[in-house]
Amino acid sequence: MTAGKGQIAMRTSEARALGLRSALAAAALVGAGVVAAQTSGAAPRTPDGHPDLSGTWDNGAGIDFVQPRKDGESVCIFGCPGGAPPPDSVPQASVPKYRPEFAARVADLDARQVQEDPVLRCFAPGVPRIGPPDKIVQRPGEAVFLYEDVSGSFFRLVPTDGRPHPTNNEPSFLGDAVGHWEGDTLVVETKNFNDQTWLTDNGAFHTTDLRVVERLRRTDDKLEWVATAYDAKVLAQPWELAKRTAELTDLEIVESPPCIDRSLANMVDGSHHTNPR
Amino acid sequence: MARTVLPLLSVLGALALLGGNASAHHSVAGQFDQSQRVTITGVISKVEWINPHVYIQMDVADTKGEITTWRLESLPTAMLRKAGLTSELLKGGGQKVTAAVNPARNGTPNLGWLMNLHYEDGHEYVLAGE
Repeated sequence: MTAGKGQIAMRTSEARALGLRSALAAAALVGAGVVAAQTSGAAPRTPDGHPDLSGTWDNGAGIDFVQPRKDGESVCIFGCPGGAPPPDSVPQASVPKYRPEFAARVADLDARQVQEDPVLRCFAPGVPRIGPPDKIVQRPGEAVFLYEDVSGSFFRLVPTDGRPHPTNNEPSFLGDAVGHWEGDTLVVETKNFNDQTWLTDNGAFHTTDLRVVERLRRTDDKLEWVATAYDAKVLAQPWELAKRTAELTDLEIVESPPCIDRSLANMVDGSHHTNPR
Repeated sequence: MARTVLPLLSVLGALALLGGNASAHHSVAGQFDQSQRVTITGVISKVEWINPHVYIQMDVADTKGEITTWRLESLPTAMLRKAGLTSELLKGGGQKVTAAVNPARNGTPNLGWLMNLHYEDGHEYVLAGE
């Protein structure tokens, strides 16, 4: 989750309160009877026959090598003996390819990530940077994606009842999503984004023409998530992200604590962080 | 992770570099000198459970009893929570704790990146390794 975080508008208490209300609404949906099986086996199905993606999904916050270890009261997160590889050995995420005329702009933003990356100022990460949902609440005709993110608590409503995209919403950080089923895969198309987020942490800006297609498929107790970003105004080709796999977890999400940056003023150079998000 | 192993490894790795920290919200290397390691002992007086990084305040007494409060930056809340850690656990009930930290590169005094916490009762939290 991490890691984030346009600017300042989404850093408000109202935004966080909205996230909390979303979580409460989601809890109500769960109470309505659409609950994922928490045991291994075939993916459960909702009454309309589609795979039930409901559940809380641990996606490793995009850093799958983080595997905390416990020994009695002691805990090791990084640098554990015989444990995960050091962070620098983690393969870098793929990056979008830009039309030649925008290469210099991307390179400049990348070089000044510390000054420019919206996520470093606690703004919402946008899509697809936010990654797979941390929790899904699904019922016939709708899915709700919930996120416990370092930038805050976020929700996305994904109608699957055939309605078109709304036409009267303001462009937003997470856009307007509409879903449909292709076999057992939930396909989510999102657009109406603002242009205040990056696709990755390397200066990957986008325009309000951004459109993102996510594909979610549940196999057993795992959730596969792939996403493709389309923005023909600036991208040389659609950007396909590497597949992410999340695992069903009993550890429930919580309201994200406030995101308050206290670090950037002490940065002495533009050292880039390698968070693949 | 054996309790007897981790402290030894911590000492042996005292000068090792952590390198880029993918878990961090920003580059640790851009803020902290990971070639330097400072060890301090005191009492954790406050835990700021905030993102993108939790901040711990540790009161450290010198030989004359003068108290200096260190600010120690650590991991995001969700990462600590998923490891079973809470603000209360980090405080350790007010017991004495020894922390290994990387100092700030810009010379800000008493500011560090928290590597590990070793509590008087023997348990420890390794948060950033070596």
